[in-house]
Amino acid sequence: MKKMPKRYVGRNILKVDAQEKVTGKAIYPDDIYFDDMLYLKIKRATHPHAYLRRIDINKAQKVPGVVKVITAADIPEVRNFGLIIKDQPVLIGIGQKMRYMGDALAIIIAENKEAASQAVNLIEVEVEELEIISDPLRAMEKDAPLIHKDSNILATHYLEKGDIKKGFAQADVVVENEYKTSFLDQVPLQVEAGVGIYDEESEVIKLWAATQWLHDTQADIAQSLGFPKEKIRIIQPVIGGAFGKKEDISVHIHLALAAMETKRPVKLTYTREESMIAQSKRHPLIIRMKTGVTKKGYLTACQVEVIGDTGAYASSGLAVVHKGMYHCTGPYNVDNVKGVAYTVYTNNTYCGAMRGFGATQMAFAYESHMDILAQQLGFDPVQFRMQNAYGIGSSTPNRQILTRSVGVKETIKEAAYLAGWKGER
Amino acid sequence: MHQRTVPCQGYFAPQKIEDALEILSGCRGEIKVIAGGTDLLIQYYDRLYEVGTWLDLKNIKELKDIRINKNQMEIGAMVTHTQLEKSEDIKKYFPILSQAAADIGSPQIRNRGTIGGNIVNASPAGDLLAPLMAYDAQFKLLSTQGERIVPAEEFFIGPKKTILEQAQLLTGIILPLPFERTFGCWIKIGKRKALIISTITLALVAEMAEDNKTVKDVRTCLGSVAPTPIEVKEVREKMIGKNFSQLDFNQLGQIVEDKIFPIDDIRGTREYRKDVAKNIMINALEEIGSAWRSHK
Amino acid sequence: MSKLMIELTINGKKRKVETTASTRLLDLIRDDLHLTGTKEGCGKGECGACTVIMNGELVASCLVLALQADGAVITTIEGVGDDKCLDPVQEAFIETGAVQCGFCTPGMILAAKKLLEENPHPDEEEIKRGISGNLCRCTGYQKIFDAIRLAADRLSSRNGGRGEEDA
Repeated sequence: MKKMPKRYVGRNILKVDAQEKVTGKAIYPDDIYFDDMLYLKIKRATHPHAYLRRIDINKAQKVPGVVKVITAADIPEVRNFGLIIKDQPVLIGIGQKMRYMGDALAIIIAENKEAASQAVNLIEVEVEELEIISDPLRAMEKDAPLIHKDSNILATHYLEKGDIKKGFAQADVVVENEYKTSFLDQVPLQVEAGVGIYDEESEVIKLWAATQWLHDTQADIAQSLGFPKEKIRIIQPVIGGAFGKKEDISVHIHLALAAMETKRPVKLTYTREESMIAQSKRHPLIIRMKTGVTKKGYLTACQVEVIGDTGAYASSGLAVVHKGMYHCTGPYNVDNVKGVAYTVYTNNTYCGAMRGFGATQMAFAYESHMDILAQQLGFDPVQFRMQNAYGIGSSTPNRQILTRSVGVKETIKEAAYLAGWKGER
Repeated sequence: MHQRTVPCQGYFAPQKIEDALEILSGCRGEIKVIAGGTDLLIQYYDRLYEVGTWLDLKNIKELKDIRINKNQMEIGAMVTHTQLEKSEDIKKYFPILSQAAADIGSPQIRNRGTIGGNIVNASPAGDLLAPLMAYDAQFKLLSTQGERIVPAEEFFIGPKKTILEQAQLLTGIILPLPFERTFGCWIKIGKRKALIISTITLALVAEMAEDNKTVKDVRTCLGSVAPTPIEVKEVREKMIGKNFSQLDFNQLGQIVEDKIFPIDDIRGTREYRKDVAKNIMINALEEIGSAWRSHK
Repeated sequence: MSKLMIELTINGKKRKVETTASTRLLDLIRDDLHLTGTKEGCGKGECGACTVIMNGELVASCLVLALQADGAVITTIEGVGDDKCLDPVQEAFIETGAVQCGFCTPGMILAAKKLLEENPHPDEEEIKRGISGNLCRCTGYQKIFDAIRLAADRLSSRNGGRGEEDA
């Protein structure tokens, strides 16, 4: 392989935007101001699973400084959005369902933040309550109420490699366990925030909002509003962290609607609570894992069932949960693998991308398994890992052959050394 | 709309206590007293507009002093946690009060938060409360009607509930100077080392008798295990008059575990708190034991 | 909401500002004085992104009413160094790679400056305590510690020798 020039690789290069950040000059979405700017606040769901029967914005509209309150009735042509499938409403309308506490019921637009805050609290809402499904296992039951139109099991994925029956027949020891991981918030230090402007002449909506992929966000906004993509312009200010949380639409469509309605610059900044309740989380996974190993300490079979709670909306749930399943053996050689992964709707906050994207959660399961197996065999857990670890030529559960850059064994060795591991239990 | 004797304009920051008390009594029901603001601004986050009028104590100089007269110290209600942490007098006479203050929040919080605010906010988890009880603190309550001095244990009546009346201000904290053979231990348990509301706190203060062998007095006070800070009086009964070296620490720890009735909440379970209470009581006794021995 | 006039010194300049009883110092700094280097990360005094120096002390500006800052002397990140000559703490943050998304950086730098002012040779525990009111979600803190140590070394050699030796 040709050697790369060493002008930058391996050298300590100063980050190109570090100076503006240490001087406080870097512009994040909430740092953008316009003279005649209006402030937005969102009225959110009052129940995790309910039909909206009535929404009264009269008192809110009368708060001095409130310019307009937008409800679903004002935007009948606006469509759902979503990263992969478009199942997330922009605003919940009368007769429609709120599916988690972050669903938006109304957009308040006001001259100042205080008026917007006061108005939000004056919106009256009546709902018809439904059973709240907070457990994916309940969601999977045949008599559970449907959260969307079709099954609460949004997707089922399968994995098969080799012959699982043969694999377990070859095993001398079999361990089976259920592992559960929890919801996590990515907590980027900067919450969701943005500013929008509508140019009447060109009919272009200009948005400054932190996002992790401008083109996908642009396309999603465009299809939701029914506009060509050229009418949506997104400018990425400095992003104050994301870690997956800024892949989904947050402030964008609400800003666009408010900008078009008022013809003035509009700003929307979430509170931290709002960010916690309304925006994506890491998928909690239920991982039922069964692993077989020979008495000489070689893995022969791995069978897994993964149940991922994707919350009220799909977001990247269609990708995260089965990706997790593909990592079920960890970086260890197993010839016979069988798996099934369910992506399940509940009324919890929807789950999306968070660094690791499914693989992280699986590590809790497979590494715990490795320790338990080693213990049952009477093997040193480091040695046990070393003899099963991937090398060049190994094949993964979905049959990818690893041809280069497999550093697992060196990593295990180095980690054991740094941890001061001397072969003790 | 009721009558007001003082026009409420949204914000007052008087220089004298008397003026503050006048404003407080004239502006009934609509006025909020603010010291450091580290609890209030969190409680009123995104709804500051709900507060009709603020009474800011920041300009009242007498509230910021730490004074020693005869056998007692008086700490002004506006003394900050940083001041408590750093004051040589507090470190000398009331070391666990200084340590507790040092464990509050973060540098930013300690620079603004006050002893008065911590007391009046009366969170069951307020860090200074158990140490104040353990040092026999009394609180000075002032109004236009006069002054009242109340022992700490009578001041707190429930979570965030005190006997402080609408027109009263907590102006000072009176602490009797401890005798020379007084030893204290402060332990705060929380989910992390800073910016954490405690899961359980223990303030143990023991005074040794002149013979340097027996326990003259002891106060075992805990926070975050009851609606208010509490003292486990049964420990005192077991320890007074006894030879310190012959105390059964395990038994005393068990008494603490048995005599507290914490709840499950987001900071910990009832079981955890009881378990840990016993262990930290034993640790505290051991620490006091070594302090006493090296003092001899 | 009635307006009241206050006067404060910010980054060395005396400013008169009209404000209300329901405005926080953080809002005054950002919305009225247009100094956006000070950030809101949580609004509850837990993250430190809103840190400023007020009357010589590190404070969370989201927990101070603007009116309480009447007569105060305030330093924000904009008052630290300038484009021609960065403060040694700012330089150290750049050099050690202690800046990623940068949202915590202004608050961190002020906390670091205050720490080094009071304790020119902090050990690891003292550094951690000094910035214990400032959260960072990107760096894992290690490079921030490195930056503070680097700044401490530079400041002490600039001030002529090591001064008091710590044990």
